[in-house]
Amino acid sequence: MLKKKASFMVLSIFIVMSLWLVGCNSNNENSENKEPGNEPRNELVYATAKDINDMNPHLYAGSMPAQGMVFESLVENTADGIKPLLAESWDISEDGKTYTFRLRKNVTFHDGEPFNAEAVKMNIDAILSNASKHAWIKLTTKLAETKVIDEYTVELVLSENYYPALLELSMTRPFIFLSPKDFINGQTKDGVNGYHGTGPYKLADHKTDQYATFVANESYWNGAPHLKKITAKVLPAGETTFLALQKGEVDFVFTDDRGADSIDVEAMNLLVDSGDFRIVRSEPMNTKMIVANSGRTNSPAADAAVRKAIWHSIDRETISDAIFNGTEAPADKLFSSNVNYANVDLPQRKHDVEQANQLLEDAGWIGHDIREKDGQKLIMGLYYDVNSSSQKAQAEMIQSSAKKIGIQLDLLGEESTSIANRRSTGEYDLLFNQTWGLAYDPQSTIASFTSEASYYHTTSGIPEAEELYKKIEEVMGSTDEETRKSLYKDILTIVHDEAVFIPLTTGSVTVLAPKDLEGIAFKQTQFELPFDRMHFE
Amino acid sequence: MGGYMLRRALVAIPLLIVVSFLTFILNTLSPMDPAEVVLHTQGVPRITDELLTETRAALGMDRPLLTRYWDWLLSCLRLDFGDSYVTGKPVWSLLGPAFVNTLQLTLVSVIAVILLSVALGILCALKEGKLLDKSIRSVSFILTSMPSYLLAALLVLYFSVKLDLLPTNGMDTVGSYILPVAVITISYAGIYFRIIRSSMLSNLNEDYVLFGRACGLPERKITKRILRNSLQMAVSVFCMAIPIILGSTVVVENIFAWPGLGTLSVKAILARDFPIVQAYVLVLAAAFVIVNSFSDMLNAWVNPKLREDR
Repeated sequence: MLKKKASFMVLSIFIVMSLWLVGCNSNNENSENKEPGNEPRNELVYATAKDINDMNPHLYAGSMPAQGMVFESLVENTADGIKPLLAESWDISEDGKTYTFRLRKNVTFHDGEPFNAEAVKMNIDAILSNASKHAWIKLTTKLAETKVIDEYTVELVLSENYYPALLELSMTRPFIFLSPKDFINGQTKDGVNGYHGTGPYKLADHKTDQYATFVANESYWNGAPHLKKITAKVLPAGETTFLALQKGEVDFVFTDDRGADSIDVEAMNLLVDSGDFRIVRSEPMNTKMIVANSGRTNSPAADAAVRKAIWHSIDRETISDAIFNGTEAPADKLFSSNVNYANVDLPQRKHDVEQANQLLEDAGWIGHDIREKDGQKLIMGLYYDVNSSSQKAQAEMIQSSAKKIGIQLDLLGEESTSIANRRSTGEYDLLFNQTWGLAYDPQSTIASFTSEASYYHTTSGIPEAEELYKKIEEVMGSTDEETRKSLYKDILTIVHDEAVFIPLTTGSVTVLAPKDLEGIAFKQTQFELPFDRMHFE
Repeated sequence: MGGYMLRRALVAIPLLIVVSFLTFILNTLSPMDPAEVVLHTQGVPRITDELLTETRAALGMDRPLLTRYWDWLLSCLRLDFGDSYVTGKPVWSLLGPAFVNTLQLTLVSVIAVILLSVALGILCALKEGKLLDKSIRSVSFILTSMPSYLLAALLVLYFSVKLDLLPTNGMDTVGSYILPVAVITISYAGIYFRIIRSSMLSNLNEDYVLFGRACGLPERKITKRILRNSLQMAVSVFCMAIPIILGSTVVVENIFAWPGLGTLSVKAILARDFPIVQAYVLVLAAAFVIVNSFSDMLNAWVNPKLREDR
């Protein structure tokens, strides 16, 4: 009797406690948690799942948004094309091999060193001396010489004409400039003494795995930024980020380098409903997709019919609505039409179960539950990133629609590093991936079709592989815009016809910011945000 | 006494060597090419064969396994655990501060766990079978079985967001200790107070208690005796709580963004940053072995019988 009474009491206490806590939560949504005062705020704290890491601008471990605040390139990639940044103007020789840059005067590095032709040469030489790390950026293999003409004029000589040269010079890294004083023995590959760039923000303080603070560069050549202090706070768990946003300890989050948001759409909407935040979304920046291993001969993924059937079986509208709440649009080809050279007419493959079944039947895959061909069952593994909440949900959806057409997909969640490793060793049937994103699309993504570490296994099994690789090599060296257009068209048509890249949705950068923060814009890349243009009302 | 201590300490050494060898071997068993892992974790966008060969040589991967192990072991003795694959910094410069941060959290938590479990253990043993005993045990049962991330989230929601009393994360002020320590304490005190309680109860039935009562000793004095006898047994349990908590703060550290061993090790494991993983396992194993030896010695010191047995 006593026992029953006691457990009843305990249970009631627990229920009351839980209700109370839930009540607290809903009360809070209406409460104001901003500090009072009319002074416009000029500080921003953003949450990041990872530390900013080694900021060395000529290596790849650092956080790109952070590097983007501190370092600058010669030219900037904008929606209207390449614009001046540290270079005021430039000339390109007739043969396309010599680029002459006139540098902006009166620019200094954060440590007071002048930015001049010598500094440019020193940086570029340091990058080229570590060329094997920069194999992805073709310009490093084409740059023959950097000449100092006078204090503010520098000449880059290429071994052959290379049309994306200016574009690659505009990228977040590696062609960005570090103060010569930070070099160790004239090099940067084995570490640097400091992180002094020319950008709008200086790195002021960094506590590994806790936070990093950036303060405004008051002598920035383009005028000091409005936000005087930006803190990158390391919050590994999304729950904490959400609670810290509610409390006001953090007031800004954005899509990270890997395309993952630290808090989900629902949490963002809750915060917006509280009245303190707003969401700003960029144009499509990249394409999320499933990559099929055409080079794995013993896998059904090597069969074009199977790849096309999967393409048809996926209901992208539902993925976009149910998983992304409409924040990502369905994608029907590898690159969305706003990507350079990608506005190509390609036959659409709509969500069509009938046609998917037909394709499999025609290719000889028969059977009821799981189809078979020559004794091989139609079973494939689909690898997804365990840290991405949306990939798992998509994988489950794709699995169930594949089942309807007699394909069994085994879902295998792994770390992003291990997935990248599978991609390079070819030990996969299907895996989730995304294109490199604006500014890198299409040229960098397409260049990586031939790279063992990227999409070689994806593309090597198709009958037109040789032709594809030849065209890719041609397009990178072509001088004529029309030839380039036609080559890109051919390349895109081949991979579309072979269905090796099965598009899912177009990803964009999402920013959750305080309601009164103005000037939120995006760059032509998913890896940086122009914090220097933001200000509070 | 000194001889026993020495013997006990010597036993620990082969144990640590075995652990270090296993750690090293397990990491090399991973099917991935370490050079490739290094380059991926450094974020190099395109990996070429040339770069792989270069990196393998730089890591010394071209040497035989045992040679590598021997070199690693020797440098470990000098607290040089190699360089992190990801950042290239010495492992100790990353592990050291993280270890101190976690140790701070652990020690404060262990003190709180001991205080709370001793208090609750005594209370429950004295009120055995009464409503108070049952309520404490039921509530602790529920709280202990609650996953710590849920408990942490509820506490943060209430004390940080709603009441605005404590920070939601970080380790900037004394206040930032309160919530993580509370979560750890609630999770572990619920287990440990049962040990105190049952050991108190078994002592309660001993003859010396009956004898004391028969002699008319005041109840307060009897309780004190029982407590002293029960605590002796609890010493080793509490000693082991230190490495256990040290190695299991992962969830709490992640939620509270505590820059400690848990956060570091998870990050290292996910990134396949083997030098850090190896050092982490070795440090934790050493902590277990050292604390275990220490608690044996402590018990031997308290109870001379144990020394004679060996």
